[in-house]
Amino acid sequence: MTAAPAVGVPARRRRAGFYLYLAGGTLASIVFLLPLAWAVLRSFMPSNLVTAAPSGADFSHLTTRNYSGLISTNDILHNALNSLLVAAGTAALTAVVATMAGYGFARFRFPGSGIVFALVLATLMVPFQALLTPLFLEMHTLGLTNNLVGLALFYTTFNLPFGVFVMRNTFLQIPWELSEAAAVDGASTIRTLVSVLRPLVIPGIATTVLYAFLFSWTEFVGALTFITSSSLYTLPLALLNMEYGSVGQVDFGYLEAGAVIAMVPCVLLYVGLQRFYIRGLTSGVVKG
Amino acid sequence: MISHNELLSRPQAQTSLRAGEPRSRWRGLGARRARTGLVLVSPAFALVGVFVLFPLGFAVYISLTNWPLIGPYHFVGGRNYSELIHDPVFVHSVLFTLLYTAIVTVPIFGVGYAMAVLVRANLRGSVFFRTAFFLPFIVGLATESFMLLLELQPDSGAADYVLSRLGLAHANTAWTVHYGLALAAICVFVIWFASGLTMMLLMAGMQGIPVSLYESADVDGATWWQKERRITLPLLRRNIALSLIISVIGSFLAFNQFYILTEGGPGTSTQPVVMWIYEEAFVQYHLGYATAGAIALVIVVGIISATQFFLLRDEKPIRR
Repeated sequence: MTAAPAVGVPARRRRAGFYLYLAGGTLASIVFLLPLAWAVLRSFMPSNLVTAAPSGADFSHLTTRNYSGLISTNDILHNALNSLLVAAGTAALTAVVATMAGYGFARFRFPGSGIVFALVLATLMVPFQALLTPLFLEMHTLGLTNNLVGLALFYTTFNLPFGVFVMRNTFLQIPWELSEAAAVDGASTIRTLVSVLRPLVIPGIATTVLYAFLFSWTEFVGALTFITSSSLYTLPLALLNMEYGSVGQVDFGYLEAGAVIAMVPCVLLYVGLQRFYIRGLTSGVVKG
Repeated sequence: MISHNELLSRPQAQTSLRAGEPRSRWRGLGARRARTGLVLVSPAFALVGVFVLFPLGFAVYISLTNWPLIGPYHFVGGRNYSELIHDPVFVHSVLFTLLYTAIVTVPIFGVGYAMAVLVRANLRGSVFFRTAFFLPFIVGLATESFMLLLELQPDSGAADYVLSRLGLAHANTAWTVHYGLALAAICVFVIWFASGLTMMLLMAGMQGIPVSLYESADVDGATWWQKERRITLPLLRRNIALSLIISVIGSFLAFNQFYILTEGGPGTSTQPVVMWIYEEAFVQYHLGYATAGAIALVIVVGIISATQFFLLRDEKPIRR
C-alpha cells in the first residue's frame, strides 16, 4: 500500500493488503461514481418522478421522453452549441496565445521579459470572481457583454497563466540545438516553430487545450454576469433558467436530462485524454 | 486555481534557461530576436492588460465612488469601506464563508490524503480508482449542483429516501430551505466534489519520493505508520501546503453551489462573499459598494496566494 512494494513484508500480509486496497478502492469508487450514474438513470425516468419517492418500479419505466421533451420545448441544443462554441473558441485561442507566449518567454530575451512574465503569472493570484463589476462595465463599453466572443476572450485570459507556464516549460525542455540547426538551414522563427518544433510541443498544447475546454464548458459565474440574452445562454445558464425562470413547477426530469447533457462531454474528454490532464496537474509539483 | 502548482518549478526553470542559452551566437541578431520575442508575447500581455490589470485598477476607482449602473456618479472617498464593516449582511457573508471554509477544509484534506494513499502505488485497478475519485471534480460544481437539487427535494429526493430508510431524517425534509440542513448538505457535496483534486496533488508528490527511502525503512523494521509519519509527511510538506491553499481559496470563492441550491436563502443566511458581491452589484445596482467588498476579497485571496509563493519558493522541488 505504500509507494514502494514492501521488501521485508511476508507475502501473505502483502496479499491481504492488496485485497484491502481492492475493497477500499471499490467502495470509494461507488461513493464517487454512483451519484453520477444515478443522475444518468434518473434522466431516463418519467418526469412524474418529481413528486414520487424513488422506488424500484421506476426502473422498469425507463424512457427517453425527458430528452425528447427537452429538445422540442427548450433550446437545449442551441445552448449546448453556445457552450461548445465558447469552449472550443477558448481552447483554440488559449492554445495559440499561450504557445506564442511560451515560445517567446522560453527562447527570446527582450527588455522587460521578466516583468511581463511575472504580470501574466500574477493573474493566478487575482480571483476573477472579485473583478465582476469593473469587467462588466468595461466589457459592456467594448460591446463584449451578451457576446460569445467576449465571453471566450474573458475565459482565455484567465486560462493564460496556466497555459503560458505549461508552454514555456514545454519549450524549455526542447534541446536548443534543434532550433539552431533549423536557423542555420535558413528557416524563419515561425517556420522553425511550425515545422521543426511542432511535434515536440503537441503534448503541451493538448494539456492547455484540455484545461481551457473543461474550464469554459460549464463555467457559471462569468457567464451569469456577462450573458443576459437567452439566445446566448450556455448550458449552465439554460439549466438555471429551467430552475428559476419557469412559471410554476420545475420540471426536474428536463433539468436532470440537461445536466446529463452537460456532464457527458466532460467525462468523455477526461477519460480519453487524462494523461494530458494529469501531466498538467503534476508537472510543476514533481518535476525539478 | 488548479494551476497554482505549476509555479513550483519556476525558479528552477529560469536557471535552466540561462544555462541552456548560447548567447554569444545570437548577439548579432539580438535586436531582431528581441523584437520577435516581444511580438510573440504581446497577445498574451494584451489580454492580461485588458481583462486583469485594467479591471483591477478600475475596481479601486469604482470602489471610491457611489457608482450606479446608469447615471452620474461621484466620489465618496473611503465611505464604502467604512460602511462595509457595519453592514450586517456583508459581515454575515464573510463569517458564513469562513464557517463554510472551516468545515470543509479538513475533511477534503483527510479524504484526499486517504485516497492518495490508496491509489499512489501502480497496482492493478489504481488507474480506474484515480479516474473514479477525480471524476466529480471534472464534471464541475455547476452541473452537479443541478443534479443535487433534485435529490434534495422533500419526498422525491434520494437524500430523504436513503436517510429516512436509515431512520436519520423524515421523508419530507426540505434540505434547501433550512439554514443548517442546506449548509450540511452543501458541505458533504463539496467534500465529495473536491477531495479528488487534493488526492491528485498529494499523489503526485508521493510518487516523487524515492522508493529507496521506504526500502531502507523496511530493512530497519519500520511500521506503516512510522514510514508515513517520518518519510511521507515531511517530504510532502510542499504538496500539502499547495493542496490546502488551493482548497481554502476555492472555498473563499464559493458561489455556484450556493446560488443554484439555496440562492443564498433562507433570507441571506447561506450567502457567501462572492454572492454578496454579485447581488449587491447586479441585483441592487450598488456597483461602488459591491466593488469595495470585492477589493477586500482580492486582498485576502492575494495574501493567501502570496503566502503560497513564500512557503513554496525556496525549498528545492522534490525530484524523482
